Amino acid sequence: MRIELDRPRCEGHGLCEEAAPELMHLDDDGELVIDVPEVDGADLAAANAAVRICPVAALRLAS
Amino acid sequence: MTLRRVVVVGNGIAGLSACDALRSAGFDGRLTVVGAEKHQPYSRPALSKALLHGEDQLSAHQLPDPSHGAEEILGVAAAGLDTVANLVRLDDGTELPYDGLVIASGSSARRLGGADSPELTLRTIEDAVALKNRVATGSPTVIVVGGGALGMEIASGALQQGCRVTLVSDVQPLSRQLGSHLSGVFIDAARRSGLRFVTAGKARLAGTAQAPAVALQDGVVLSADVVVSTVGDEPNTAWLQDSGLLTGGRLLADSRGRVGPGIVAAGDVAAFPGAGGHGRVPLWTSAIEQAKTAALGLLQGDAAPELSFQPYFWTEGFGLSLKVAGPAPMTGKPSFAETGTSADSMLLRWEDADGRGTAAALNYRIPVPKLRRLANLGPSALRPAVRV
Repeated sequence: MRIELDRPRCEGHGLCEEAAPELMHLDDDGELVIDVPEVDGADLAAANAAVRICPVAALRLAS
Repeated sequence: MTLRRVVVVGNGIAGLSACDALRSAGFDGRLTVVGAEKHQPYSRPALSKALLHGEDQLSAHQLPDPSHGAEEILGVAAAGLDTVANLVRLDDGTELPYDGLVIASGSSARRLGGADSPELTLRTIEDAVALKNRVATGSPTVIVVGGGALGMEIASGALQQGCRVTLVSDVQPLSRQLGSHLSGVFIDAARRSGLRFVTAGKARLAGTAQAPAVALQDGVVLSADVVVSTVGDEPNTAWLQDSGLLTGGRLLADSRGRVGPGIVAAGDVAAFPGAGGHGRVPLWTSAIEQAKTAALGLLQGDAAPELSFQPYFWTEGFGLSLKVAGPAPMTGKPSFAETGTSADSMLLRWEDADGRGTAAALNYRIPVPKLRRLANLGPSALRPAVRV
């Protein structure tokens, strides 16, 4: 699965970073960086949690 | 006992998160989710923000499709609960047996008048579309009753749609949520955007459906084309009336979300234990964390972790975007303030008498984990760690 970011929607809350710090982070300018875009196995649960917690649905998981 | 069938009542973000958390924790039995609204879960915070403010942002509230594989019963509300026979009764007469139950039935907008009163409220996507259509057509005059974050967001949205807007509240708007300092910042920005404030005790509805009005405590009556009330929410507990689960009308959960044998609760309907006793915390992040806690509480009982939650919420309006981590409202002036890239961009911190910190980012992009560190540890948390 691949984590996709709809950048214009992202408001920079960073709740996703809190849910999946190994997979993504906000940089010094508050822009989200997906560090591990391709996820499988153990990372899937964290990726799902990150996608789910975004209040503006800026993230999705695509196969 | 191994659970084979779990029913989740409520398909908002709490119900959705509970379903996800049950699956993540290994529950592979039959899962049924019941939603009173006919939609898939959506983002309620977005309704009064992007959706109301935008020109054409009718997708701002949409969330990715669920992946929990639950059987979904949508557009049907729960009508009763029998905790002896382990049955949830739905308002279409269906009875759902369970051996594990998650109560996440949410809350409803409190109204000033009865169900037929002409006031608009904002709780559901239908409410939001109706409100947006009303304020975006013909620049009506608008009165918003209630000075919380929702009322201020709606006032901001209506102003942006070209309406003349008056906000009626009993105390200084946002002071209960943000304290005196930040509420003052928002009120100044709102005034510059053209919002008119009336602070005058408890207001009540007056007028007619065609000509709605608001009567103030001193007898003054204000009329407008549209009256929107934002005076809080009521937990959806009517269906639990005969369940034996309510205490003084409230659904009290323990620190693992448990409200009875085989039954847990999460989200706006539930009161969890907190610093000042049991209380509801109707916030997006709270609903998600409570749902995770409740799902594990249901599956693992005493072995499940207790809820550990630091409030995080955000509001937008009048050109301001605010994020807050930590207990609120904040008292007095901040003890730490740092200007960001522009004059109205600020990072702030308060410390209360018990040493607990609250951090706020105003027009300042900062990840929540960093904002939490600022709240908990103070300004030293902002400096990069020194490598030795």
